Amino acid sequence: MRVLRLHVNGDCAEVAAPEHWTLLEVLRYKLGLTGSKQGCDKGDCGACTVLIDGVPTLACLSLAATVEGKQITTIEGLVPAHRAAGGEGVDPVQNAFDKTGALQCGFCQPGMILSAKALLAKNPNPSLKEIQESLAGNLCRCTGYTQIYEAVVLAAKGDLA
Amino acid sequence: MAARDQHGSEAPWDQGFRVIGKENRKVDGMAKATGEAIYTDDIQLPGMLHAKMLRSPHAHARILSIDTSKAEALPGVIGVLVGAELPVRYGVIPWTPDETALAVDKVRFIGDEVAAVAALDEDTANAAIRLIEVEYEILESILDAEKALITPEPPIHEDRKRRDNISKHVELEFGDVEAQVSSADIVVEEDYSFHSTTHAAMEPHCAVAVANSDGRLTLWSSTQITHYVHRALARVLQLDPARIRVIQPCLGGGFGGKSDPFSLEFVVAQLAIKTGRPVKMLWTREEVFYAHRGRHPMKMHYRTTAKADGTITGVDAKLLIDGGAYSSFGLVTTYYSGQLLTGPYDFPNYRFDSTRVFTNRPPNGPKRGHGSVQPRFAFEVQLDEIAQRLNIDPIEIRRRNFLGAHTETVNGQRITSNGFLECLQEVEAASDWKARHGKLPHGRGIGVAGSMYISGTNYPVYPNKMPQAGVQLKIDRSGLVTVFTGGNDIGQGSNSMVAYLVAEELGIQPSHIKVIAADTDLCPVDLGAYSSRVTFMVGNAAIDAARKLRHKLVEAVAVAWDVAQKDVRFMDGTVVDLSAAARSMTHVEAFHLAEEMFDTLGSTGAYNTPTLGGDYRGGTIGSAPAYSFTAHVAEVEVDTETGRITVHKVWAAHDCGRALNPMIVRGQIEGSTYMGAAEVVLESHDLNRFGLHAGPSLLDYRIPTAVDTPELAARIIESIDPEGPFGAKEAGEGPLHSTIPAIANAVFDAVGIRLRHLPFTPAKVLAALRAKEEQA
Amino acid sequence: MLRLPKFEVKNPATVEEAVAMMMEIHGEARFLAGGTDLNPNMKHGLFTPERIVALGGIEEMFGVGFDESGNARIGAMVTLAQVEQHPDLRRAFPALCQAAKLVSSPQLRNMGTLGGNVMLDTRCQWYNQTYFWRNALGYCLKKDGSKCHVIEGGSKCVAAASNDTAPALMTLNAELEFATTSGRVRMPLADLWQADGIWNKKIPHTDLLVALHVPKPAAGSRGAYGKLRDRGSIDFPLFGIAVRLDFAADGSISDAALCAVALQARPWPLKKAAELLIGTHPGQASFNDAVEKVAMLAAKQCRPMPNIPGDHEYRHLMVPVYTRRTLHAAAAGEGPVHHI
Ligand SMILES: Cc1cc2nc3c(=O)[nH]c(=O)nc-3n(C[C@H](O)[C@H](O)[C@H](O)COP(=O)(O)OP(=O)(O)OC[C@H]3O[C@@H](n4cnc5c(N)ncnc54)[C@H](O)[C@@H]3O)c2cc1C
Ligand code: SF4
Ligand code: FES
Ligand code: FES
Repeated sequence: MRVLRLHVNGDCAEVAAPEHWTLLEVLRYKLGLTGSKQGCDKGDCGACTVLIDGVPTLACLSLAATVEGKQITTIEGLVPAHRAAGGEGVDPVQNAFDKTGALQCGFCQPGMILSAKALLAKNPNPSLKEIQESLAGNLCRCTGYTQIYEAVVLAAKGDLA
Repeated sequence: MAARDQHGSEAPWDQGFRVIGKENRKVDGMAKATGEAIYTDDIQLPGMLHAKMLRSPHAHARILSIDTSKAEALPGVIGVLVGAELPVRYGVIPWTPDETALAVDKVRFIGDEVAAVAALDEDTANAAIRLIEVEYEILESILDAEKALITPEPPIHEDRKRRDNISKHVELEFGDVEAQVSSADIVVEEDYSFHSTTHAAMEPHCAVAVANSDGRLTLWSSTQITHYVHRALARVLQLDPARIRVIQPCLGGGFGGKSDPFSLEFVVAQLAIKTGRPVKMLWTREEVFYAHRGRHPMKMHYRTTAKADGTITGVDAKLLIDGGAYSSFGLVTTYYSGQLLTGPYDFPNYRFDSTRVFTNRPPNGPKRGHGSVQPRFAFEVQLDEIAQRLNIDPIEIRRRNFLGAHTETVNGQRITSNGFLECLQEVEAASDWKARHGKLPHGRGIGVAGSMYISGTNYPVYPNKMPQAGVQLKIDRSGLVTVFTGGNDIGQGSNSMVAYLVAEELGIQPSHIKVIAADTDLCPVDLGAYSSRVTFMVGNAAIDAARKLRHKLVEAVAVAWDVAQKDVRFMDGTVVDLSAAARSMTHVEAFHLAEEMFDTLGSTGAYNTPTLGGDYRGGTIGSAPAYSFTAHVAEVEVDTETGRITVHKVWAAHDCGRALNPMIVRGQIEGSTYMGAAEVVLESHDLNRFGLHAGPSLLDYRIPTAVDTPELAARIIESIDPEGPFGAKEAGEGPLHSTIPAIANAVFDAVGIRLRHLPFTPAKVLAALRAKEEQA
Repeated sequence: MLRLPKFEVKNPATVEEAVAMMMEIHGEARFLAGGTDLNPNMKHGLFTPERIVALGGIEEMFGVGFDESGNARIGAMVTLAQVEQHPDLRRAFPALCQAAKLVSSPQLRNMGTLGGNVMLDTRCQWYNQTYFWRNALGYCLKKDGSKCHVIEGGSKCVAAASNDTAPALMTLNAELEFATTSGRVRMPLADLWQADGIWNKKIPHTDLLVALHVPKPAAGSRGAYGKLRDRGSIDFPLFGIAVRLDFAADGSISDAALCAVALQARPWPLKKAAELLIGTHPGQASFNDAVEKVAMLAAKQCRPMPNIPGDHEYRHLMVPVYTRRTLHAAAAGEGPVHHI
């Protein structure tokens, strides 16, 4: 057991966790941040995607004891960050996913939205091919991805009523 | 009880729809986008124990003894459970109860549940599982359906009346198929096969139970059928169902894979009772592959007779269905495999002979398009072959055989609305069919197929005359309307659908509706999310409830204003007086008036199917109050050097009656089409030579990523069903079916090979290409 | 959840510290880079170390640099995404960057390192499975058991080297810099491998790969990587082949190298085949003829086994196809060769 200092969604959380716990386990079961999902627990599905220093990373394959000092963003961090930056409502990417109907069961979507966020941060105007390639580590079983692409395009356009 | 009053398919007011047909946001979209939505594994309770399952390493064995003493002695282990403690059998179909919560005397496939442990943490539970000693007597295992058919011994289920491995046999004939053979201009007879595929919903199965000290049990479970879980729990745990509450939290996808009651639900409940503490069990992805209940593999033989103009005169089918280790929905599957093929084409004569067998494989069950995707594949490929041999355009032959609307199928199913011709028309135009079919360069091709599917089923799995769906409404002085429904939103958007219907009917904004669903303590019974029944049945029940409430609201306002009721109009949350344009009030004020007049106000609504189905044994299975229709055109490219089929684009036109929300319908069409395409070229739920699952992971079971998914062009056809809620029918399963044969037929167009055995692996394609070359 | 075994985690700041932490305990310890191979393997019970030495804090192991003569040094902790996107690496070593781009998925490339990819454990359908599954099977030679299920009766594990970048690095004559208890050691990557699927490297797992050194390419050198797999993302190779072509001033091929992967325990260089290309001119019949011969020879020399999932006979049929396509892509300065 070690006391970890994790920087999650802008907060510094001190959390005692056994050293063999993954970041996903610590987020979900120690910090109660259950927005990050688990679909395979071994790198095959992308449901657990979080941003570490802005980079999409699989929390199920990251040891919590190796990410101290890094900035971890989970799906729960987007609304507060958006509000802190003076925004209203939810993050525009989240809003776009809701607007286009991309959220069916929603289980893949926290990871999907974070992958999309990272893409748009790097490339504000991605082509369809770039969107597909960036999301190719996030499996979705419901949508056939089409409305997800629409959401990313909509978020890029910023044209959200 | 006959059908509840029919609501008509038009807007409740004469000025068109305000909510229906619009791309409204979903009621739970934001919660899902922000991570606020609570799924079963997100539930954590104080003092909660973690349970793990011991599973059988043998495909078929008798359990001689189980010794749990070492596990019980491990510090941190709080409860251990074995099959003998929960010996009552269950099965989702009450006629075939052949499952137990944990194996009692036998295990029937690798992964079958044997014992469970609840411990303070997962690591301890895992360690304890390994300390349980089980002595097995290994029995001969049957891994192949053909072998099961001819191998009565050892029976996988020993205590049935029949001593063999046949799970269900159905043989039905309508008309006289044999008589058509001699008079036919063409007879096409071929074998087809459909392999095993699974749902692979992204959320693994999970259940949490709490047994309160007052004897009440609460179970949260990732189920898509709360009501059947409720019944099964009461039966197996031998508890008063009134003291059991089953709740389905947000569900991370189902596709039929969460329709059976599952072992973990009984196990956490019993362990919670036993230990007096909350208990959770979360299955690993591997365990989900063992739970399976996926698409039944089928070996199919079809013989179709037709006239020179393409008119079908008879269809004769013989199917062998691999059921896997348990019955599950198998009785229904066996019927569906024959009963659901009799549209969208007119079959004057039809016979099917379907046999479901038990094998020592993970149990098969309902996967999106339950029982009918496999026959549809075979038949649509056969029809394409007839068209080709008769030199008729494949779309044209489908038109010529069109069954029609407001008619009856050869097996006695009542057809109401039918937009199949419009579906064909749509994909024909969108794909530029006439200019491209048969005319693309070698290696590229397009193919067509059509299908139909049930919108709900007449057959409730346990016979009863109560409503199939019920909805309750409660109004609040704030202006909020709460809808209580037993319907299961599994991601398909049924909670949103209910909100739209109630909002439309009451003339208020969807934002003033809150939906409470799938909680057996709070919600009236609905039979759950299967057989594409929710929109049709819950939707009708919701309209029924809302209409009753509206009458009261209108009456209260009419009295207050002293006008005729027909002059009171609710619209977007405002009530206007049509006789004196200036007068209006908010719907909140109207609620207050109504509460003053009628006391605390609510309403209930229900739906039951009209009497349907042919007058013969099994005639009600597969008879639906309405049917959806679909046509697909797929465009493929075949790399003749690698054998790889790339599905570039699929046009899917689906007749959903009325699109209550076109955005959601599109999502269902796209998701279905994606899933069907994957079954053709990627997915395979294989066992290896030891009877072990070949790759129980999302790495080895290859579901498509974004870069593997074809471009999907969904088109909505609205035939406006007379009995559907505002004319709606299903959209969640139908649009999978014809994807598969459309791709098969496109491969023929591309390279001239007829592939009849799924999946179409590159190796099979190469072999077929080579065989064709050799023939030439 | 799929649980990791209980272990302690050490976070060294220097290479020397890391080696010392690795050696100082009696039980098993493992280096952890991106963790994308080790963590799933530990979750499957394939490794149960008592200690994890996490390499993320060792500055020396990060970064890409070139010396004055143009030789590259790539830190072992450089991620596959960084390799793929590095403009200088892309210019100098196209096959390497193409291979990195085709590894697994975007997130895994953000995490997985080049060092970890070289040091990747071999893979087999009878091995990369959970404890329950392997127990039901009765285990196998590579872990906990005594039989091989690929070559029945075989006494040697033939699990497949499945690292996409290894063959590319082989064609580029990369060298590895290890830190060991007796100091730094440099060895050609070609010398790393041994034909044993249980441990396919000639060095012990306690040696720390610090950096990779890739010599400056010949002027005008070209390369490409071809990968057979079922999906366009996530999947390990069912067959992979890397190509390097160097050119003389007259446009003829002056040197060539080919190396295949996902066959058996080690990456498989195709030296004889490569020689057939020398002296030929892309764009001329001589090259096309040579390519056909190379493809046939590759099919003879590369015999996929039923070790990794997928139909091995089909994989064999694809050897000449992917070899040919990858050679043409390399000659044209294109690639990667992939079905998407
Ligand atoms: C779903 C999935 C798909 C994948 N697909 C592919 C694929 O297509 N192609 C492919 O090549 N790989 C694939 N991988 C494997 C893996 O992601 C990559 O090979 C990656 O490069 C491994 O690097 P890592 O840093 O994560 O290694 P780790 O997991 O950290 O380490 C791997 C091994 O190397 C050792 N090691 C790591 N670094 C060092 C070092 N510096 N010195 C000494 N030993 C060291 C570790 O002890 C461990 O034994 C896949 C993995 C997953 C989970
Ligand atoms: S080749 Fe596969 S089955 Fe054989 S010993 Fe190696 S890992 Fe085990
Ligand atoms: S849960 Fe992490 S990749 Fe699937
Ligand atoms: S929305 Fe259900 S898995 Fe993507």
